[in-house]
Amino acid sequence: MSIVRNSRGNAAELTADPSRFQDTKWSVSEVWGRYGSWVVTAINLTLFFCIWELITRAGLVNPLFLPRASSMFHTLWVGLTTTAPPGSVISGSILDHLLFTLRDLSIGLAIACAIGIPSGLLMGGNRYVETVLSPYVWAFSSLPRIALVPLFVLFLGFTMKMQVTIIVLSAVFPIIINSWAGVKTTEKSLLAAAKVFGANRRELYTKVVLPYTLPFIISGIQQGIGRGLVGVIIAEIFGGSEGLGYLIQRSADTFDSALMYAVLFVLVIISLSFIQFTRWLEAYIAPWRRIDML
Amino acid sequence: MNLPQSRVGSAATRSQLAAVPKPTGPVIVSKGLTVGYKLHRERKRLTALRNISLTVNRGEFVVLVGPSGCGKTTFINAIAGLVEPWEGSIEVNGHPVKGPGPDRAMVFQDYALMPWRTVESNVRMPFELQNLGLTQEEMDERVRRYIELVDLKGFEKSYPYELSGGMKQRVGIARALVGEPDILLADEPFAAIDAMTREAMQGELERFVAKTGQTVVFITHSIDEAITLADRVAVVSYRPGQIKEVVDVKLPRPRFDYDVKMLPEYGELRDHIWRLVKDEALQTARGENL
Repeated sequence: MSIVRNSRGNAAELTADPSRFQDTKWSVSEVWGRYGSWVVTAINLTLFFCIWELITRAGLVNPLFLPRASSMFHTLWVGLTTTAPPGSVISGSILDHLLFTLRDLSIGLAIACAIGIPSGLLMGGNRYVETVLSPYVWAFSSLPRIALVPLFVLFLGFTMKMQVTIIVLSAVFPIIINSWAGVKTTEKSLLAAAKVFGANRRELYTKVVLPYTLPFIISGIQQGIGRGLVGVIIAEIFGGSEGLGYLIQRSADTFDSALMYAVLFVLVIISLSFIQFTRWLEAYIAPWRRIDML
Repeated sequence: MNLPQSRVGSAATRSQLAAVPKPTGPVIVSKGLTVGYKLHRERKRLTALRNISLTVNRGEFVVLVGPSGCGKTTFINAIAGLVEPWEGSIEVNGHPVKGPGPDRAMVFQDYALMPWRTVESNVRMPFELQNLGLTQEEMDERVRRYIELVDLKGFEKSYPYELSGGMKQRVGIARALVGEPDILLADEPFAAIDAMTREAMQGELERFVAKTGQTVVFITHSIDEAITLADRVAVVSYRPGQIKEVVDVKLPRPRFDYDVKMLPEYGELRDHIWRLVKDEALQTARGENL
């Protein structure tokens, strides 16, 4: 007897008859169906950068606006492998600024989680906390956070405190709202089942509400990372002398378009890897939500 | 007639009762029970059940049948201790119901399995939530035994999302039986399961209960399901639910194996119950009762 899962991984079947399962060879179209999208993506991106290179080499675009793809990658390589690029008027390499931004972002996200998860859970669990906090949560989460930057620059100056505050304010609300929603939408029948089998109030939270809410919290953090990244770049563009935002600002000031595009490329990679990581985490923690099917 | 023997070994499944002679007499006594819900937005309260008097005896399989929204679920929730009576009383084993207890367990229409727990962990959950005075070994043994009883051996480590509807409900049944409660409450447990699997599951439930000797209160919309399973069928009328008639079903068991649907008595019972609910079912179908 063996347990067999179908291609979607569900509906396990107990089979006494292994002869029902025969090895088959994949046809070309089946192999293509499985791996084709990777090949298309690889060709697609290669073509994209080649056309970019050709257009810039042909002189169709002012190199001030669009550098050659090759020079962007060269700047990126130099910026990530050295600590201070030679001949640059900007102090610090891409790597230095990247680490600075990541440090700020991590501190900000950690604080946002530390504040956001408990407040969201409390709001979901207690009607009074919910009533008191919800106007502030909705007001702040609907306010464009960039509007607050001048205020915090005024309060805290061009300091790390100011940048971290902006990251926290950007990231905390999606985390609060998702945790809150998770608690509020916990399936009634799961709660009823736990009650019937003897759960007290505390056990209802620890054994039903919290595990149910966990994937919500993770998607809250996922949104928080996205918002936090916006927050940190805005904060660094506004003020400060370090970080990727500052580097974008400085490269624009010094007409170094290759550097600017290299930084943008780094930002794309960071945010994609963060999102992929949280998606993987969610699929791992809550496989029943089948996020990995997307 | 060639009756297939039950596939599970003959080990005494209800360990505590094996030694003691099976007591008889009333287990659930509902007297003039009226229950309902508060509708906060409309500042009203809605009576779901009115003046329900019903006595369920030990080891009896009672099925409540009636149209949608007639308050059958409310009755079962009152027995489970999830809702409090407004008027009248409900007693289990001679004590008024004051909340859930280990003497009662429930099977849910939507299975209500914790999706983050494996089959084994779901079945073990009642032991985590209530202290039945069992040792770790006894609990492990029971979990193993009831997973075997519902034919899910080999799936202990599977998650509910990997199982079919029928298999999920087997987990739900194992979870309800594992604490060996006196009373098994079932709220339309097979309503979401396809018709063929559903008939098979009815036969399975009959087999499980024959093994364990529980008192069962079972809700369904299906007259066939009611007759197939019940010792007595309580026909519930539309809002607020009242018991119209209690019909005795004296058909041979195990009914799944005997194919009782072929018997003339079956047709008569079916017709009798259908006449009781017909008008209300029609009204419900036309939306006239809303």
